[in-house]
Amino acid sequence: MADVTLKGVTKQFGAHAVIKGVDLSVADGEFCVFVGPSGCGKSTLLRMIAGLEDISGGTLSIGGRDMTNVGPSERGVAMVFQSYALYPHMTVRDNIGFGLKMTGHAKADIDARVAEAARMLQLDALLERKPGQLSGGQRQRVAIGRAIVRKPEVFLFDEPLSNLDAALRVQMRIELSHLHADLKATMIYVTHDQVEAMTMADKIVVLSAGRIEQVGSPLDLYHRPDNLFVAGFIGSPKMNFIKTRTTAAGAGVTVTLPGGGTLSLPAPAGDLPKGEVTLGVRPEHLSATGEGDATLTGTVRVAEHLGSETLYFAALPDGTELSVKADGLSGLRVGDAITIGIPASACHLFDGEGKAVLNGDLRR
Amino acid sequence: MFPTPIQKASPLTQKAYVILLPIALVLWLLPLIGVAITSVRPASDLAAGNYFGVPSGFAGVDNYTAVFRDSPIGLYILNSFKVTIPTVIGSVALASLMGFALSVYKFRGNLIVFFMFVAGNFIPFQILMVPVRDFTLKAGLYDTTLGLVLFHIAFQTGFCTLFMRNFIRGLPFSLIEAARVEGVSEWKIFVHVVLPLMRPAIAALSVLVFTFVWNDYFWATVLVQGSHAMPVTAGLYSLNGQWVAAWHLVSAGAIVAALPPVAMFFLMQRHFIAGLTLGATKG
Repeated sequence: MADVTLKGVTKQFGAHAVIKGVDLSVADGEFCVFVGPSGCGKSTLLRMIAGLEDISGGTLSIGGRDMTNVGPSERGVAMVFQSYALYPHMTVRDNIGFGLKMTGHAKADIDARVAEAARMLQLDALLERKPGQLSGGQRQRVAIGRAIVRKPEVFLFDEPLSNLDAALRVQMRIELSHLHADLKATMIYVTHDQVEAMTMADKIVVLSAGRIEQVGSPLDLYHRPDNLFVAGFIGSPKMNFIKTRTTAAGAGVTVTLPGGGTLSLPAPAGDLPKGEVTLGVRPEHLSATGEGDATLTGTVRVAEHLGSETLYFAALPDGTELSVKADGLSGLRVGDAITIGIPASACHLFDGEGKAVLNGDLRR
Repeated sequence: MFPTPIQKASPLTQKAYVILLPIALVLWLLPLIGVAITSVRPASDLAAGNYFGVPSGFAGVDNYTAVFRDSPIGLYILNSFKVTIPTVIGSVALASLMGFALSVYKFRGNLIVFFMFVAGNFIPFQILMVPVRDFTLKAGLYDTTLGLVLFHIAFQTGFCTLFMRNFIRGLPFSLIEAARVEGVSEWKIFVHVVLPLMRPAIAALSVLVFTFVWNDYFWATVLVQGSHAMPVTAGLYSLNGQWVAAWHLVSAGAIVAALPPVAMFFLMQRHFIAGLTLGATKG
């Protein structure tokens, strides 16, 4: 059992608070991804779990044991660094076996484990090479191999794929998912790439400015964002936000749209928010052909033809910008008028403080 | 890029370069050439005032034989080795450890300790002459090789620590962190991860310290009296006769004495490798 539990964890660098009280539990065998914009503290949090940064406040336990003040070598975790951190003077074989050798494992045991890891990661042919003779993807595999051989209960990954090119990243993503399925170990993975987060995670932790914004499964975060930050961060291109006002109308609410139209939405669970609210709807849920419960008209400012789909960035008469994902064969050009359809079932409402009061969860 | 490669300069500059460079080279080496020529000059040339002219004959064999026959230069060279080698090992080893500690660990007073090492380099050693001599006398180290070694180590470690600390700072810190997470003890990290990567720094520093200490004349004359511990730099003086300055012999001795640092350089040359950390990180 190696669950990871953080209780009220904080980190101060001098007077500057980087992590402002994080409560989180990662279950045994779970693939948990920390995601957030640059500087949100996700790497620091991972390094605190690894023991490379001191924990200023709160407690950390791994597998039920308190690890708050335990050194990195005693925590039983393995870490893969963004920069790979391979020992340049050692061969691949020595790099992978180094930790085992230094902690007094028998040579036969080391050889067997290195061979096993090399086989899993297809490094067999490269064992006698030095890191300088390897490509980026191969180096990253060696770094992963170095983590695997120690059979740790918790793997920590610090943006391991961010130095690889796009094609290799996709391939390594799949390999890491396979690895997780094979090893059944707890994995905590830091990335700023939401595609990595969405594709690999059992659980995503969205961080912003040292705080957890939301924890949930990838699809929960996509369909039921708790607040404007998560709504805007998950999904690409990002969710459209329209500043508006609501009025109660029978069993639901009526939202005023730019250009004077209205849209009827189901009533939020709590009280109807007063004052200005934000209507959120994802580009892929809007219709470029005007189908939906309400329509908006605007002008196409930019059209990105990606083949499989077309992205339109449209401006409404009042200046609101909307992005719309349309069919790849859609033939609108820059300057053309566009009629955008909004389906009520896909609309989210956020109150003045940015908290979600209504989620347009399409899975219902 | 600065300086501009000479191949890209104007033809006139290139011509001037080709002419001026050998002249500058000869000017630079003139003292050395002078000593080398003097070392093969017969004694009569010096008596006749022919200091810089063409030697009247070749007396190289005689002079060099005389150096080894008439003076204990063999003993002096041995003494120099006995002082220099322990000093190189001692100061480079201490500096490696200090550099590791100062660059890897965060502790209160880290910078103050570091600055003390740096500041130590700025103390003119002439003002230390009297107290150090006094101290060695009281400690029973006066006129011994050990005394010289200890003081050389003390004085060289300051610069060496500055050098090593900055070198280790330049290594990717994630290597140390990776080893820590792997459960490797700090001492083993130093020995197995950091030390192998310090090879170019150790080689460069060894050559430097070897040359400094080998060429030291000041402390050799301050801390040593008898020929039993006298290094070759100070010992050369004994080649002069009681009444006559035998410059041809002193020159021959100087040439002999200058060979070990040169040999040291060529010995260490293959360790000056750039890009030892290639492949450690993304690169």
